Amino acid sequence: MRFLTQYFELTRLQLLSMRSDVFIISLINIAFVAGFIFGFGYLFGDVSSRAGAFLTTGVATNAIIVVGLTMMPQFLAEAKQQGRLDYFRSLPISREAYILSLLTVVLVLSLPGIVLGLLTGWWRYDVSFDISPVILLVVPLAVLSLGGFGAAIAILSPRLQLTNAISQLSIFYFIFFAPVLLPRENLPTALQRTADLLPPTYAADAVRASLTDLEGTHLERSLLVLLGFAVASIAVAAASIRRRA
Amino acid sequence: MPVLDIQSLVKRYRNGTMANDGISLAIEEGELFGLLGPNGAGKTTLVGQLLGLLKPTAGSIQIDGVDVVARPGYAREQIGFLPQAQVAMDDVHIDELIFAVARLRGLSRSEARARTEALIERLQLSQFRATSMRAASGGVRRLAGFATAVVAPARIVVLDEPTNDVDPLRRRLLWDAIAEMREEGTTVLLVTHNLHEAERFLDRLAIIEHGRIVREGAPADLRSVVTERLRLEVTATNGLQPHPALDCEPDRPGSYLFDNADLVIVSSWLEERRKAGEIVDFRIGPPSLEDIYAASVGADTP
Repeated sequence: MRFLTQYFELTRLQLLSMRSDVFIISLINIAFVAGFIFGFGYLFGDVSSRAGAFLTTGVATNAIIVVGLTMMPQFLAEAKQQGRLDYFRSLPISREAYILSLLTVVLVLSLPGIVLGLLTGWWRYDVSFDISPVILLVVPLAVLSLGGFGAAIAILSPRLQLTNAISQLSIFYFIFFAPVLLPRENLPTALQRTADLLPPTYAADAVRASLTDLEGTHLERSLLVLLGFAVASIAVAAASIRRRA
Repeated sequence: MPVLDIQSLVKRYRNGTMANDGISLAIEEGELFGLLGPNGAGKTTLVGQLLGLLKPTAGSIQIDGVDVVARPGYAREQIGFLPQAQVAMDDVHIDELIFAVARLRGLSRSEARARTEALIERLQLSQFRATSMRAASGGVRRLAGFATAVVAPARIVVLDEPTNDVDPLRRRLLWDAIAEMREEGTTVLLVTHNLHEAERFLDRLAIIEHGRIVREGAPADLRSVVTERLRLEVTATNGLQPHPALDCEPDRPGSYLFDNADLVIVSSWLEERRKAGEIVDFRIGPPSLEDIYAASVGADTP
């Protein structure tokens, strides 16, 4: 019960602390996903409905990647630098509740981008979705996994500048070199192998499997891997916060 | 039994810096205890270990007999904390912050609301309650931070520079609130550079330098430790040449320190200069806490 109270209050506090930024962050995320959907259309010309479905689900996953792997690490790195993280560490609260509250913020900030991304894809490429209720599990699990990964990067990184560099590099990587927006078979073997080790690959796969009838997806495997990443990265982040230097 | 008992505390960082070098302190219930020392003396490291944010290299810390090095969670439950840096909560309104911390510290919704309202009233923050932490002035942010430190019952309240940026009127309110807490049995550990407030309000203090306690006791007792020196304050006309027995203080014109043994010589010289019209008024007194501090931490103090 105490855990839930702490989780709720921490989530509320985190959202209130960025109340004037929530709108603009959501707007940037929406612009980002819409830009991708329209931009790829201009790049490739006549995009088929199936290619559109692949692109749209990749862009929706990217909305989580942007918040989870870029905004989350930068937010936490700033919290470290400004002493906010130590302030929370000085309170009698569960470290896991703190991390989960941050991940809930990631979910809230990602949702407009995910929804608008899917709607834009449907409208632009005439994508027909085959929506499974499993998506209600996939999105939170993807957020936990990617945001937890981002949190672990921020907490383990010794400096704000390094965190920012890693998070910016990661977004570049996931756009151009990972099977999120690009088909896996188009990538060289080395990049395929690297992608197999990173959670966004499985997040994109699970989103595709639960929203479309595209072939070659592996929902159960992706859910399991995402669950593993989520548990491991939250555990690492919480342990790092708990650790006394 | 002291509420807070620190014994032979050593903290050496991985880079080899010795931040605390054998610190021992025993602080009683309801005591207002001060930690003084120059920047980098080891005060923040000591507080960090107390709160369980840092792990001591050696030594023990006990709160009410409980080993909080082994159980840092217990320390966090017992300690209300105001950090030196402003609590960076950007868009959170002041009343929302106090309420949220009350809830996080275990108060029920109704208790948290009542305590929040009481503190807002007490610290005269009503007109700022819906002001965000980002928009509030430094002094108001400090008071909001103070409110979060004391919003829930605690055995010990650690306040790091609580009156920084706070205007004189609210500073008084804050000291009144601290006095009330003491009467209720809360122990207060104050980290400060404000020697005037330390002299006026603290029951006891420790001066830390290079990670060690160099002086400890009540301000009045510490003054007697340096009775070999006296302070002279002079109001003079232009052109007064100080007596060779007087040590000038560059930052305090008209203020001198001299040895107790030179009291007769200095008194005669003062009388002569007054008759000659060079001195309008003078006062000889015991050393202030500032003198004790300066004598304790050496000339390289910032």
